[in-house]
Amino acid sequence: MSFFSLLGLSVVTLRHHKSRSFLTALGIIIGVMTVITILSLLEGLNRKIKEEFSTLGSSTIYVQKVEWQMGPGHRQLDFEEIRKRKNFTVEDAEAIVGLPSIQVAVPSIGKNVGSLKRLGNKAQNCELRGTAEGGDLTGNWVVEQGRFITREDRLHRRLVCVIGSYIAENLFGAENPVGQTLDVGGHRYLIVGVLEEKGAMFGNTQDNVVIIPISTYLKYNPLPRGWRAIWSGLSIEALPKPGVPLEKAMADVEEQLRLLRGLHYDQDNDFGLNTQQMIMTAMQGITSTLWIVMVGIAAISLLVGGIGIMNTMLVSVAERTREIGIRKAVGARDRDIMIQFLMEAVVLALLGGLIGIIVGIGIARLVSVLVEFLDAASPWWTVVLGFGFSAAVGIFFGIYPAQKASKLNPIDAIRYE
Amino acid sequence: MAKKFRRSKGQGKGSNHEPVIRLQDLSKVYDGGPVAVEALKNINLEIYEGGYVAIMGPSGSGKSTLMHIIGCLDVPTYGSYFLKGQEISRYDSDQLARVRNREVGFVFQQYNLLPRLTAAQNVELPLQYAGVSVNRREEVVEKMLEMVGLAERSHHRPNELSGGESQRVAIARALANDPAILLADEPTGNLDTKTEEEIMGLLDELNEQGRTVIVVTHDDSVALHAKRTINLLDGRIV
Repeated sequence: MSFFSLLGLSVVTLRHHKSRSFLTALGIIIGVMTVITILSLLEGLNRKIKEEFSTLGSSTIYVQKVEWQMGPGHRQLDFEEIRKRKNFTVEDAEAIVGLPSIQVAVPSIGKNVGSLKRLGNKAQNCELRGTAEGGDLTGNWVVEQGRFITREDRLHRRLVCVIGSYIAENLFGAENPVGQTLDVGGHRYLIVGVLEEKGAMFGNTQDNVVIIPISTYLKYNPLPRGWRAIWSGLSIEALPKPGVPLEKAMADVEEQLRLLRGLHYDQDNDFGLNTQQMIMTAMQGITSTLWIVMVGIAAISLLVGGIGIMNTMLVSVAERTREIGIRKAVGARDRDIMIQFLMEAVVLALLGGLIGIIVGIGIARLVSVLVEFLDAASPWWTVVLGFGFSAAVGIFFGIYPAQKASKLNPIDAIRYE
Repeated sequence: MAKKFRRSKGQGKGSNHEPVIRLQDLSKVYDGGPVAVEALKNINLEIYEGGYVAIMGPSGSGKSTLMHIIGCLDVPTYGSYFLKGQEISRYDSDQLARVRNREVGFVFQQYNLLPRLTAAQNVELPLQYAGVSVNRREEVVEKMLEMVGLAERSHHRPNELSGGESQRVAIARALANDPAILLADEPTGNLDTKTEEEIMGLLDELNEQGRTVIVVTHDDSVALHAKRTINLLDGRIV
């Protein structure tokens, strides 16, 4: 019998037992739905995270007092010890710039300065950040108009600033801010540059920044002390020279810092070297754990669904013993019967898979509408995976009943009442 | 009309000396229960091409078992079965399926039509398993239903057909692949006398066209149609 005759036959047979077919497929529906929903959300989460962190410089090394830790296998941090760690200085940054593997290293410190006002306009929740020339490279900033902070700005502690696009839009609108002034924290800064829009990270805009020379910043703003110094203290951002592997640059920076901080060979680092890559790796760790859990859930539900299919097919074979006998009497070979029943099981599983995929994508979309941070992404391979799984379950659990049907003796089957 | 449906295949291999069916020391033993039942005992039988044979005997005489073995629905326990000179008793299940599909057509007392298929679809079944193309299938189905006089009933399902009509559909199905042999197991057992005559008339006509026809019956009026009668009693030919 041709493929399409068999397919038609399966559909007719399954339609004849609508509710039974649906209930049988329910296991597969739930299994595939779970897989598709979770996969879509995970994929969406992954993309979101990648997108968020791509606003950080991809190969910038962030030198801070603490190493970023996320995901499985993180250590308990001793904050009492961390609090006592030495602050980083501008000189540390200069020592790192001197390393042959480093292209640029800048000190960086910032604080929230609240709302900035100009002629009745307001930009809320702004950040003042002190850095040096090259800070555009390490901070992954693109200067849209004007220029970035220069060495001269830093050496002369000039009252100049480069502003983020959010501030430019809200305070200056259509005007060109370059050449105008901005009052921050009781000082009037000359705007020398405007930065290109960077977008938000975890819902927080990064375009609310006012960047000034580090020397100017340190002159007017006290350094945070104690607990606050752990995260808000001066940090160093370093960028490896082009062609230098990140690991090599990190090793050099680490060695230099240990030297600067007078650590003995048997002492642990009292600083952390952080990169975007570390977050990515950690996130991948989390999502791969979720993956394994998901695969487990999916496997169990597909197993249950498969057993349902096997059960229904066995009932169906028993009910249709006479049909099998008649088909054999008119010339059906064992394999014709086998394929007929296998096809039925696979069609049933695939229908379950189809419904599961549709419902799964629907639920994922619904979740992403309800939860603001989560975006659902259902790439083509999740659909292929859904269908692949259902087909595999159909074949695997359909083989035994189909084989049973095909091995029936024709005359016994025909006599069956 | 008779000429139109004459068998297209050659009338044997030039001689009537090789029987189309030859059974040699054939026995069938059912070994399922506590005691083995010998349904057929050392059957030796030759049927020639174009023959019209009635197999008779009381119930339990083994006539249906013999018919099932001839029709390849069942296999003998001992002995040999030659169909057109080929030893069928050594065939595997695929080869037997092919024989059932092409060489013999089987008509049952219960008609055994598939209830969810139309008359035409039922007739089409053996053609599908033979791998005949869709166009050719339609052609043959139409011809077969016309032959049994049911051309206008082709889209009816078995539950919409009378007993006689159902049996005629079954005959059309049995002949779809133009087999040399038509086997009918109590074909009129469920039919009234008038319908019985119609069905037997159809079988007569098919035999006149050169087809070998074998009918199992316990009814003398049916057996009278045949040219030869074989009587079975307790699994032996008497």
